[in-house]
Amino acid sequence: MQRLANLSAARTDAGPTAIEVAGLSHVYDGREGKVPALEDIAMTVGAGRFVVIVGPSGCGKTSLLMMLAGLRRPSEGAILCNGRPIPSPDPERVGVVFQEASLFPWLSAQDNVEFPLALRHAPRAERRRRATDMLDLVGLQGFGGRYPHELSGGMKQRVAIARGLVQDPPVLLMDEPFAALDEQTRMTMGHELLRIWSQTLKTVVFITHSLTEAVYLADEVLVMSARPGRIIDRIAIALPRPRTYDMMATDTFGRLRDRIWQQIRTAD
Amino acid sequence: MNRLTILAVRLALLGAFLAAWEMLPRHGVLDARMLPPLGDVLRMLVDVLGRPRVQEAIGVSAGEFAVAFLIAIPLGAAIGILIAENDYLGEIFKPMLFYVFSVPKSIFLPMFILVFGIGFQQKVAYAAFSTVFIVIMSATAAVESVKADHLLVARSYGATRAQIIGRVYLPSMMPVLLEALRLSMIFNFTGVLIAEMYASRTGIGQLIANWGENFQMPQLFAGVVFLATVAIVFNESIRWLEAQCSAWRT
Repeated sequence: MQRLANLSAARTDAGPTAIEVAGLSHVYDGREGKVPALEDIAMTVGAGRFVVIVGPSGCGKTSLLMMLAGLRRPSEGAILCNGRPIPSPDPERVGVVFQEASLFPWLSAQDNVEFPLALRHAPRAERRRRATDMLDLVGLQGFGGRYPHELSGGMKQRVAIARGLVQDPPVLLMDEPFAALDEQTRMTMGHELLRIWSQTLKTVVFITHSLTEAVYLADEVLVMSARPGRIIDRIAIALPRPRTYDMMATDTFGRLRDRIWQQIRTAD
Repeated sequence: MNRLTILAVRLALLGAFLAAWEMLPRHGVLDARMLPPLGDVLRMLVDVLGRPRVQEAIGVSAGEFAVAFLIAIPLGAAIGILIAENDYLGEIFKPMLFYVFSVPKSIFLPMFILVFGIGFQQKVAYAAFSTVFIVIMSATAAVESVKADHLLVARSYGATRAQIIGRVYLPSMMPVLLEALRLSMIFNFTGVLIAEMYASRTGIGQLIANWGENFQMPQLFAGVVFLATVAIVFNESIRWLEAQCSAWRT
């Protein structure tokens, strides 16, 4: 409780904060007894910031994201989302975009985006309007009637982003959303995501394996160690906004990416 | 080959088969006592379907089929879902069910007669028994076809348990369930007919067995044509339903 109080105090001091995590540790029961998965995670994400988490495979990045979404509970520690704990999923506060193939194949793009609203029994007209707005926002005007198997990988993830944003949550969590895409589509989608982010002013926590993607997108990169996952470095990305593809060729970009790479190599 | 050509070839083959059935026995190439010409069989079919005894037999078989189906489907589905959802039960019972599934069910028919006697109950029990295993296997496969990703998405948007079942489980499982329905209908149909042919006082299977024993070939073939038509119509209706919701299956 003392920890929660401290967190709240810190929040009022440091301006608007979207996510605060303190003293978070997680242990799960594996086949050979208790396995420590996450250890003493502390992080603060300011409202409207774009934070990217990188780390070796199996370091608990996804677990951490699931906890931020209220889908899983940590063994220890506190998570505050917009100042309140998140013991169970709350789509009005947090939207989630998963890895590939998370769209429902039996629903059209439009119905996939409407899905979260349908769960809350929102009126049909409102559902239609909001979903259409979101499809417009992600650049899929006129594609609402298509089914997932009729869409390309990039378009599917656009639909997934629209679905994550349809209830207008202040926070968007993204778990390697572009991992299954080819390199070119991936770059385009990263750029598109920044456009959507700047238009909607969301707070984004984004997990990726791609260091280039991390530097290109982030305000701040958090580097995690191998299991048990700890945050071993926080790197502010001071590149100006809006980001452009040219920046990837600059020395600053290269130095930032190298620094993350060094950290991950030693962490593995 | 385009679709039209394929359709034309199929129709031509069917036509040739039916024409051969009519012509060969008619002109003495085949023994008409063993294989009556198609025209005679169809005339006999109309005649036979008009007899009260046959109508009653069809009614009895249909009743056995329906009751066995209504027992086997919910029972098999419940067991299948339980095994798929509960890891502990799954580990214990899944291999056993595979073993039992591989055993031909007809060898148990004498036991059903010993327990239930000869009659409606025995037919229903045997048909349900021979159907329930395919239902269990299919229900297990249907549950396992639900993607963990989709469940996670639904949960992350705050879906209740009922919403997860109605909006994720059911639509995910629908193609497998329809396939299961189709297969179990075939098993159930076969179960009823075998039980009737083996030992029975009535039912369409008993009539067919009887006609065969008495060498009444036109009646026998009329029964065969009738049952084949019923089975194909059932099968194709469900396949049509499957096609309606399988656009996204691939």
